Amino acid sequence: MNERRLADNETAVLSVDGVSKIIRNRRIVDRLSFELYPGEIVGLLGPNGAGKTTTIRMIVGLISMSEGDVRVKEKSIRRDFAKAIAHIGGIIENPEFYPYMTGYDNLKQYQRMTEGITEERIQTVTRLVGLEGAMNKRVKAYSLGMRQRLGIAQALLHEPSILILDEPTNGLDPAGIREMRDYLKKIAAEEGISILVSSHLLSEMELMCSRVVVIQEGRFVTERALGSAADVDNAGRVQVIFRVNDALKAQARLARMEEITILRVSEEQRQVAVAVRDAYIPRVVGALGAEGIELYRIEEIKESLEDEFLKWTGGNRIA
Amino acid sequence: MRSFGKLLTNEWLKLYKKRSFFVPYAVLAAMVLFIVYLFKSMGANEGGMLSGYEFSAWLFNKNGTGQMLTFMAIIGSAGILAKEHSLGTIKLLLIRGQGRSKILASKYVTVLLYSLTLSLVTLFVGIAAGGAAFGFQGVETGLVGALAAAGIHYAYMIVYVTITFLLGVLTRSAGASIGIGMMIVLMEGLVVQLLSRYAFTKYLLFTHADLSVYLNGGTPPVQGVTLPFSLGVIFVYLALFLGASFVTFKKRDVA
Repeated sequence: MNERRLADNETAVLSVDGVSKIIRNRRIVDRLSFELYPGEIVGLLGPNGAGKTTTIRMIVGLISMSEGDVRVKEKSIRRDFAKAIAHIGGIIENPEFYPYMTGYDNLKQYQRMTEGITEERIQTVTRLVGLEGAMNKRVKAYSLGMRQRLGIAQALLHEPSILILDEPTNGLDPAGIREMRDYLKKIAAEEGISILVSSHLLSEMELMCSRVVVIQEGRFVTERALGSAADVDNAGRVQVIFRVNDALKAQARLARMEEITILRVSEEQRQVAVAVRDAYIPRVVGALGAEGIELYRIEEIKESLEDEFLKWTGGNRIA
Repeated sequence: MRSFGKLLTNEWLKLYKKRSFFVPYAVLAAMVLFIVYLFKSMGANEGGMLSGYEFSAWLFNKNGTGQMLTFMAIIGSAGILAKEHSLGTIKLLLIRGQGRSKILASKYVTVLLYSLTLSLVTLFVGIAAGGAAFGFQGVETGLVGALAAAGIHYAYMIVYVTITFLLGVLTRSAGASIGIGMMIVLMEGLVVQLLSRYAFTKYLLFTHADLSVYLNGGTPPVQGVTLPFSLGVIFVYLALFLGASFVTFKKRDVA
C-alpha cells in the first residue's frame, strides 16, 4: 500500500525497530516495528491496554526498552540519547507544568535546557498556539485547553523534526479536541514536521492522520493509509467482490486476466474479491459470462475504518 | 559546564518562584531574634560572657537551634525530585536532551546550595542580632570560631540532606522523605548510645556526623578515632548514598 511507496524514496525520521518491553515475563510490547516519514501525521491506534503509552514512553526514553532500539534521524535512543531526543518534541498525556510559575517562566525553563533557543523563538511558538495574552499568568490559572496549548508550545520550542503526543485529547471537550486537531495540522503544515499521535479514538485519527499503525496486546496488527485515496490504490484500482455460483471456477478464469489481482476467495460464500480498474469491470463480467459462470452481484468493498478497526482489534475491547 | 549552570538556574528558580520560598528563612531569623530577646531579658549575659560571635556559634549546636536548621534543610531537599514526580513535570524534564545524571546532579548541588543559604542566613542574623544585644567583645570565640561552628554544622547537615535526597529518589514522596529524614536525625544519638558497646559503632555514619567534637579539643565519639578517619567514614557513606541515588534514577521507568 501507500506506506511502502514512501519507504522506497524517503528515509524514515523515526524508526521503531523490534522494540519490546518485558515486565515480569509479560510482554507489554512485543517486537514492535514501524516507521515515521517526513511530514506525515501517523496515528498509533489500539484499544486500551494495547501498549500505546508504553511504546511512546520507550520512544522518548522515559521507559527503558527490553529489546530492540528506536532511531531518530539515525541516532539511537539507547546509545545516543541526548542527540536523538533533541529531534523530538513531546507531550506525554496531559502536559504538566510548574503551576506556581507563569507560562513564560515555564517556557524559559525548557529554553535553558537546550542550546540555542532564542527569545524570538519563544515569542514565535507563543503566537503559533495563541497564548500571547496568557504568558504572564500563572499556569495554575490556566484551563486544560490552555495547558494543552502551552504543552504544544514547549514541545515545539527546540524546533524538533518529530512531535510525539500521547493521547493528546484526553480530558478535552469537543471544542478543545477540535482546536487541538487544528493546531496539529497547522503545525505539520507550517513547521513541516512529522507527528506521531497515540489514541484509542478512531474518529479522531480519521480526521487527522495520513496513516495509522494499529497495535493490540503490544503487537503490530496492521498499518494503513487513510484519507480520500484509501479506496483507490495507487494503480487506480478499486476492490470489488463478485458473487458467483462457483467461486473456484471464477477464480481460475480471473487468474488468467492480467489486469486483475485476486485478493481472496471464499468458497462457502461463493465470493471472489479482486482489485481491478473501473474500466476493466465490464470485461470481467463478459469473461465470466463467456465461461458460463453465473454472476449474482458485484459489490465495492468499502469498509469504514471503524469496521476494520473492530475487525483488527477484536471488537468489544475498544473503550 | 554552561549547560550545567543553566540547569542549576532552573532548579533554583523552581524553589525561588514558590510563594513559600522565604518562609524557612523568616522562621530561622525569627527564631534567632526570639532567642536573643530571651537571653537578654533573662540576663544571660550578666558576666559579659556572650558576644555576637559566641552567640552565633552557639546557634549551630546540633541539638538546639542547629537541629531546627537541619530540619529546614531536610524539608527543602526532600521535595526537589519528589515534587517533579507528583506534579508530573518529570516527564517533560527528562525528554530534553539532558542526561539523567546531569539533571540529578544539578538537583543535588541545588539542595547543597539551599542548605548553605539557610546556614548563612542563620549565621548573619545571629552575628548581627547577637552583636547588637551583647556586643562583640567576645571571651573566646571570634568571627573565625563562629564560621567554624557554622561550617562544621554544614557538614553535619550535608549528611542528612544527602540521606533525605536519597530517600526522595527512592520513595518519590516528599512527605515520606521528610518524615524518615527527621526521624533519623532524632534517632541518631540514641542509636549511637545503644550500639556504643559494639566495636562496629566506629564504622557507623552517625558516630561521625557531628564533627564539632574535634573542635576545641573535645572527646572523640569513639576512643582513638581521628578527624581524618571521621571524614573518611562520612565520605564513604555519602558516596554510597549518592551512588544509590544516581543508579536508581538512571534506571527508573517513568510511568
